[in-house]
Amino acid sequence: MLTLTSPVDTPLHRVRAEIKLAALCSFTVLLFALHSPVALVLAATVPVALIATGGAVFARHGLRMLRPLWPFLLVLAIWHAWTDDLAQGLAIGLRLVTAVAAANLVTMTTRLSDMLAVIEALLAPLARFGLPPRRAALAFALVIRFIPVLADRLTQIAEAFTARSRRRPRWRVLVPATLAALDDADHVAEALRARGGAG
Amino acid sequence: MERSLTHIALFAALVAVLGLVPPIMLGSGVPVTAQSLGIMLCGTVLGARKGALAVLVFLALVAVGLPILSGGRGGLGVFAGPSVGFLVGFPVAAFVAGLVVERWSAPVGLAAGVGAALGGVFVLYAFGIPGMAVMLDKTLAEAALLITAYLPGDAIKVVLAALVTRGIAQMRPGALLSRP
Amino acid sequence: MPPALPAISLNGASVTLADKTVLLDLTLHLTEPRIGIVGRNGSGKTTLLRLLAGLIPPTRGTVRIGGLDPARDRRAMLAAVGILFQNPDHQILFPTVEEELAFGLIQTGLTRAAAAQAVATLLAAEGRSHWAKAPVSTLSHGQKHYLCLLAVLAMQPATLLLDEPFAGLDLPTQARLTRRLAALPQQVITITHDPSVLAQADRVIWLDAGRVLADGAAAPVLAAFAAAMAERGASDADTDLAG
Repeated sequence: MLTLTSPVDTPLHRVRAEIKLAALCSFTVLLFALHSPVALVLAATVPVALIATGGAVFARHGLRMLRPLWPFLLVLAIWHAWTDDLAQGLAIGLRLVTAVAAANLVTMTTRLSDMLAVIEALLAPLARFGLPPRRAALAFALVIRFIPVLADRLTQIAEAFTARSRRRPRWRVLVPATLAALDDADHVAEALRARGGAG
Repeated sequence: MERSLTHIALFAALVAVLGLVPPIMLGSGVPVTAQSLGIMLCGTVLGARKGALAVLVFLALVAVGLPILSGGRGGLGVFAGPSVGFLVGFPVAAFVAGLVVERWSAPVGLAAGVGAALGGVFVLYAFGIPGMAVMLDKTLAEAALLITAYLPGDAIKVVLAALVTRGIAQMRPGALLSRP
Repeated sequence: MPPALPAISLNGASVTLADKTVLLDLTLHLTEPRIGIVGRNGSGKTTLLRLLAGLIPPTRGTVRIGGLDPARDRRAMLAAVGILFQNPDHQILFPTVEEELAFGLIQTGLTRAAAAQAVATLLAAEGRSHWAKAPVSTLSHGQKHYLCLLAVLAMQPATLLLDEPFAGLDLPTQARLTRRLAALPQQVITITHDPSVLAQADRVIWLDAGRVLADGAAAPVLAAFAAAMAERGASDADTDLAG
């Protein structure tokens, strides 16, 4: 499955995931403690500089991942233009973009398997409450395996509907799609049992 | 044992797949995606505990970098954005929706509708509004005002969640794990 | 080499699913190396296979494999029986080929590292080392089927249970699979509605409405089955509803 990890190799790719995550946490906490526009601009230079080290392709990928923010930036712009304190709006927008860019940077430079290893390590203490991390790992693998299967099924259901109707399927795919997920869950449980269970 | 695990995994996958369905645009220009409907269905179909776990598994995979949040978003960045409150509220929403269907012996469509409204709107907003207030540096009332844009879409989803849950109960009696 | 064949026996085994009797009072002793089970859709074939694999317990009667109850002694059964489902998408559990193959091996007690090594060896022996990292979603239907077979064979069960193994496969793939299955040292129990698949079987059991209608050498049983199916096909059958 496609992940958001960048194929462009940067120095950050070689830093351990735990270290990057710890740095990200500290950076984000610091960011939300800052209020002066000058300090925020300085803070923003950190992710910008790090993204720049990855070259043009990497930087474009980084920019693309910021795109979902624009409606919020637009709302901020209108809001603060209305209340006549654009400087503050700018500071808030800057902080938002910096926080998201820094977090994206960690995602872009860490492989999926390394991230999953961190999650499993974090879940390890739960073993005492009857939730072995192995079971969580199995659940993650099953989800990644079945996203394309269910996506295909959704397309088939929509096509089967369209083949016999002039209307567009829209929400009518939801019942069969949910039933498909329930059925698949039963089949997969059986396949899992046939090969020794979930342990 | 295996069935609980696979139900959790398959519904996490279902939530991801529903995020791929192109959103419907409402008059206000706010996109309505099927993904949060998937969150409601996790609760109303699987029940409180399994529904919440399915959503947690989904969120973990978003966090590790799969682009499975609606609009192809994903990674740690979405947890640093203005919608973070909604993400945190997702598993609680599924739990509450499931709890209502499990505990309230009303007809399944009604119970699912009320569950989806309580969990998928009321509880979800209780997390989403403070999240947005912090991220955009607004008061709670101001953030609530911004969020009203989502209300019409969420009302549609509540009705759909009720219809879909009832549809499943009719087509496959016994398939609703929230109503054992 | 897989371990010696443990005897598979059913004694008065019945299965009732959702108030419907699917299998009724079956008593069978399955020892031949190649056994075929034929029957129409809904005759109880797949339920019998699931019963043998220990995926469901009998409602009445007993099932024993090497003296053990397959529905309870799951760990012992991993070495005794492997089942190949009809739809590979219901069987493949993991996103990549190597993870799928390694899972069964880890389940039988291998360490992660040993399993990874065994998977590499296995794929190399099959001339498919380049499959290791491939996402299973990129495999064709026939390739998925083949992966399922490899995953089951990797666990070296004494008996292989196959559910319509050729359904949906094109002719070259069918021919390859037939060759592969014929060469296996394991006991193979195949269920199908297609008599031509079972011509080489040592024994064929004809199942109808959950009961054994005929049981014996392949040629006579298959001939009787084919004749009965042709007769049914000629009449306007298939109007009665189940239940």
